[in-house]
Amino acid sequence: MTQINRLSSGGRIDRETPIRFVFNGRHYGGYRGDTLASALLANGVKVVGRSFKYGRPRGIVAAGAEEPNAIFQLGAEESTQVPNVRATQQEIFEGLVSRPTSGWPGLGFDLMGAAGKLFGRMLPPGFYYKTFMFPQSFWEVYEKYIRKAAGLGRSPRVPDADIYDHLNQHTDVLVVGAGPAGLSAALAAARTGARVILADEQAEPGGSLLYSRDLIDGEAPDRWLHNTLTELAGYEHVQVLTRATVNGYHDHNFLTIHERRSDHLSDRAPEGQARQRMHRVRAHWVVLATGAHERPLVFGHNDLPGCMLASAVSTYIRQYGVVPGRRLVLMTTNDYGYRTAFDWQDSGHEVVAVVDTRQNPEGPYQEEARARGLTLMRGCAVIEAKGGQQVTGAVIAPIDADGGRVTGATRVLACDTLASSGGWSPAVHLSCHTGSRPVWRDDIIGFVPGETVQRQLVAGAVDGTYSLAGCLREGLRAGVEAAVKAGYPSVPTAAPKVNELTEGEAMALFCVPHLKRTSRAPKQFVDFQTDVTAAAIELATREGFESIEHVKRYTAMGFGTDQGKLGNINGMAIAARSMNKTIPETGTTVFRPNYTPVTFGAIAGRHCDELFDPKRYTAMHPWHVEHGAKFEDVGQWKRPWYYPKPGETMQQALDRECRATRESIGILDASTLGKIDIQGKDAREFLGRVYTNAWAKLAVGKCRYGLMCGEDGMVFDDGVTSCLGEQHFLMTTTSGGAARVLEWLEFYHQTEWPELEVYFNTVTDHWATMSIAGPNSRKLLAELCDDIDLDRDAFRFMDWRQGTVAGVPARVFRISFTGELSFEINVQANYGLYVWEKLFEHGAKYNLTPYGTETMHILRAEKGFIIAGQDTDGAVHPYDLGMSWAVKEDKPFSFIGKRGMKRADCVREDRKQLVGLKTRNPKVVLPEGAQAVNDPNQPKPMTMLGHVTSSYYSANLGRSIAMGLIRDGFNRMGDTVYYPQTDGSVIEAEICSPIFLDPKGERQNV
Amino acid sequence: MSDVIDIDAIGEGQVAVMDQLPSGEIPAESPLHHLDSTVPTFTSKPAGVRLWEEALKGHLVLRGNAEDPTFQRGVEAALGMALPERLRSVQQGPLSLRWIAPDEWLLVCPGDQAAALEIRLRRHLSGHFAVVNVSGGQTLIHLAGPDAAMVLKKSCPYDLHEHNFPIGKVVTTVLAKTQATLCKIAADQWELVVRRSFADYAWRWLVDASAEYGLIGDTPATAAQRRASTGRHPVSSET
Repeated sequence: MTQINRLSSGGRIDRETPIRFVFNGRHYGGYRGDTLASALLANGVKVVGRSFKYGRPRGIVAAGAEEPNAIFQLGAEESTQVPNVRATQQEIFEGLVSRPTSGWPGLGFDLMGAAGKLFGRMLPPGFYYKTFMFPQSFWEVYEKYIRKAAGLGRSPRVPDADIYDHLNQHTDVLVVGAGPAGLSAALAAARTGARVILADEQAEPGGSLLYSRDLIDGEAPDRWLHNTLTELAGYEHVQVLTRATVNGYHDHNFLTIHERRSDHLSDRAPEGQARQRMHRVRAHWVVLATGAHERPLVFGHNDLPGCMLASAVSTYIRQYGVVPGRRLVLMTTNDYGYRTAFDWQDSGHEVVAVVDTRQNPEGPYQEEARARGLTLMRGCAVIEAKGGQQVTGAVIAPIDADGGRVTGATRVLACDTLASSGGWSPAVHLSCHTGSRPVWRDDIIGFVPGETVQRQLVAGAVDGTYSLAGCLREGLRAGVEAAVKAGYPSVPTAAPKVNELTEGEAMALFCVPHLKRTSRAPKQFVDFQTDVTAAAIELATREGFESIEHVKRYTAMGFGTDQGKLGNINGMAIAARSMNKTIPETGTTVFRPNYTPVTFGAIAGRHCDELFDPKRYTAMHPWHVEHGAKFEDVGQWKRPWYYPKPGETMQQALDRECRATRESIGILDASTLGKIDIQGKDAREFLGRVYTNAWAKLAVGKCRYGLMCGEDGMVFDDGVTSCLGEQHFLMTTTSGGAARVLEWLEFYHQTEWPELEVYFNTVTDHWATMSIAGPNSRKLLAELCDDIDLDRDAFRFMDWRQGTVAGVPARVFRISFTGELSFEINVQANYGLYVWEKLFEHGAKYNLTPYGTETMHILRAEKGFIIAGQDTDGAVHPYDLGMSWAVKEDKPFSFIGKRGMKRADCVREDRKQLVGLKTRNPKVVLPEGAQAVNDPNQPKPMTMLGHVTSSYYSANLGRSIAMGLIRDGFNRMGDTVYYPQTDGSVIEAEICSPIFLDPKGERQNV
Repeated sequence: MSDVIDIDAIGEGQVAVMDQLPSGEIPAESPLHHLDSTVPTFTSKPAGVRLWEEALKGHLVLRGNAEDPTFQRGVEAALGMALPERLRSVQQGPLSLRWIAPDEWLLVCPGDQAAALEIRLRRHLSGHFAVVNVSGGQTLIHLAGPDAAMVLKKSCPYDLHEHNFPIGKVVTTVLAKTQATLCKIAADQWELVVRRSFADYAWRWLVDASAEYGLIGDTPATAAQRRASTGRHPVSSET
């Protein structure tokens, strides 16, 4: 196909650079500078999709972000698929592949067009509400058809081939929109020396200047535009971003800009470069110069391809050198719309008629129309478009002064393009994001941004100023004001002189009357993307949905990816008319981020794959990898889980690790345990207040286990704290709780007890910690350490000593989480791997066996040692754990949780308590989380007694072991409880002491 | 300062001070020793970014009351420099002292001087203060080059503009999903202090963010120096 609609000259396209692209499986040609929309129009492509509900053919309506119909799927390969792309904002490049996203089963077939009549009846307004009110199964029947038929694209089925990133920016002034107002604002702010970011969603800055007929300083606006951009480019403190949509305006002047860096260049981004970048901008002041969207007029069959916005027609002619048809009928409620007729005529094509809905418009625009010999039909409106697949004619009738009804006979004019202008709606979207409610202005027939708490100014069309001179003037004023408010000296900038025609008063008309009443008239579309008609809105109000927010949800108006940029105001006006209210009374729905759809890639940035989340490693990590460890995530730490030998199952590896530790010696990398260095004369007192037990008498060289509770008395962390000096302690926490505990200590210190002289510092990462456990651990340590007396009476259980291990200064703690004779060796992390390897050099003869978190869990469970966060869940206090020995009630000062655990509910006899559980069948391992019941035959819902918190197979004991919470468990030793399983079976277990092995604790004291 | 550390003479058993470096030739492994190879030391393309670890430095956390003249004088006497102002770093020979928080500073020194400096500080300070050796728990990364600031903008929400971030300024801020203490030491050069366990992530993030600008690491000479820096003999950039 040739570019039959391409004008022989004009436009801003680069005619020296032809480009080939694919749409819907066919090849087309265009030029650099074309959007997909302009190139398709140049090629005479009228139908670009089919509508959501009725399957009606749809064409390109707009030339910018507000486009509702031309929403395409892009991508030449599976890995480069992008949904939701507006053809009006996507530039073409060589090899671009696009297809319509709506229109199943295909653009060519009219199956849906026919079926749509039936399907449309199945989807009346309120479909979603009504459907959800009925059994949900009803919905499932339709959902897949709706999605398939409607769809606005799909995500790729393979990983994205490109990368995306984020960039944090700070600026004094962020100007949104590079039209005449935004450019002026940026220029004025830049001249003060303020840091300025000017962002515009289109490929080229300029906004309406790119197609304007007006003159600046006596010349086409191009020169002023060029000069302005050149000056801005010369400032180091100014960034001009194009293809960069400010998609969200958040609290505290934080805005995000979605910049498409290579979407216009090729299917994939250039090597090493991000395809899209999300700028995260903290702006001191914001100038919104977002312009306005033209409102289409609502009339019968106004969705036929060929019905377009007047300004879009002008844009295609003047900016892209494309005239979308041959014979134009223009309907307008205002003078600005006349420009489209002038542009069309200037392109050498026929203007069939200018249909002005006002009774007696008179002014420079009408004079020029007459001078050009245009047919001007005043007091008339196009009440219906004629045509099947596209516009072939316009039905025109006289209407009354307020646009309420048709007053005379109709006539039909043949045409192929039907442009309409119902005035302009300021693009208040970003202002709405901040929670500001837009305010109606009768004089401009539109909503403008309302009061705001943000440091925000507005300029130009977004504030209802539509003249070019006004936009330039307001832009300059806002730019200076923003810069001055940001602390820069005012630099006066004079506005250029503008020649433009003066506009007369516009008419407030939203829905053109028809001969028939709305419910009987041909469909008058309000929201193209969601197929919402004027009749549907009237139906909604008749059914009692009077709040505009309810009308929106009932009809789905504004629910599309375009958020109803074109249709919302018309829809509100129709709802208002239907309820005999004014528009301000009816109010408006507001817009949420994002202004236009944003890819998930841009949201994720580089926070994906390997960089999705930090992986924390210990100093010994390379050794674990080399020795085949399987890893487990503990918080962000990668901890060895177990070390399978070739051919071993997990259980076999665990059995071996458990036996080796109890029989000879095992080693655990315990570096991830949280470690907090505590110094100060009140350190001891502080410990007494945050732990439940006593610390007053812990001697230097000694260690003690402690429980930490919240104010509610519930356990939230535990660990061993060692007295390093009279005023110096080392606290250990759970691996996952380290940061939380440090914050907890700081919180209490800073808010409750600032008078206590104590400092907390994290040393988690500073020390590499290796725990050797088992009957041979003393022998192994003795081989590598000759400066600590390891004798059982000199270095007792719960002592620590400073010395040298493998030549490296170390602190050695005789503490045990396994119940075995155990030493925890701490060396500066830079030497951790060295010492670890030395231990293995000497440990081979003892069968030194590395074990991971799973074996650690089993070994401690054999001893009934709890893990905070596994055996506790925030509703378990020390007494529930049978750990009253760890609560010192009579400390001089109170401790956190003391009162909490005295609440009536906490001292009930029959609380859930932590007990041991032995399954009747020793081979069966209870699933963790399983719920206990007294009577497995009780009808559901059964009375649940508590759940299994820890459960393992213990090779050392030759049977399964478990711990769990049981209501009144301490009084039920020896009782049998039942654990019904999802497969219908029941596991029987006996309540017992949680200490399964060495109840007297002799093994750790050897 | 004295090389002989008489630990018992310090604090009279109130705190446990410990020289944590081995006396023999024992290899030390910095948090990033395994990532040398991820950054080329030479590239034919122009490099917008240089990235290298300054490994095995001594890192001491100093806590105290900045308002207390005794504390101020003690620090100055021990280190030969006054406490830096809020959000600033000061340098004295091979020592640098960064402001971290209203009652916290980070002293970075040659690796073999950490214990001696801790003792020195303890001798000169009295009352309520703390000194903690965290040399094994963090490391120093240098990020330099004309595009270094762009790399940081991809990583940190903090405003890096020279008006807001002059040379000598220090902030502890977000770095991607971890944190770093950021110090600007020259127009195009930054030092980042990162936690040991997060260093791998931070490094990989920075390497990734630098890719589009061209990245090189240590020159062969400095890398060789660094490999030799073990045990008691780490190399600092100043020596």
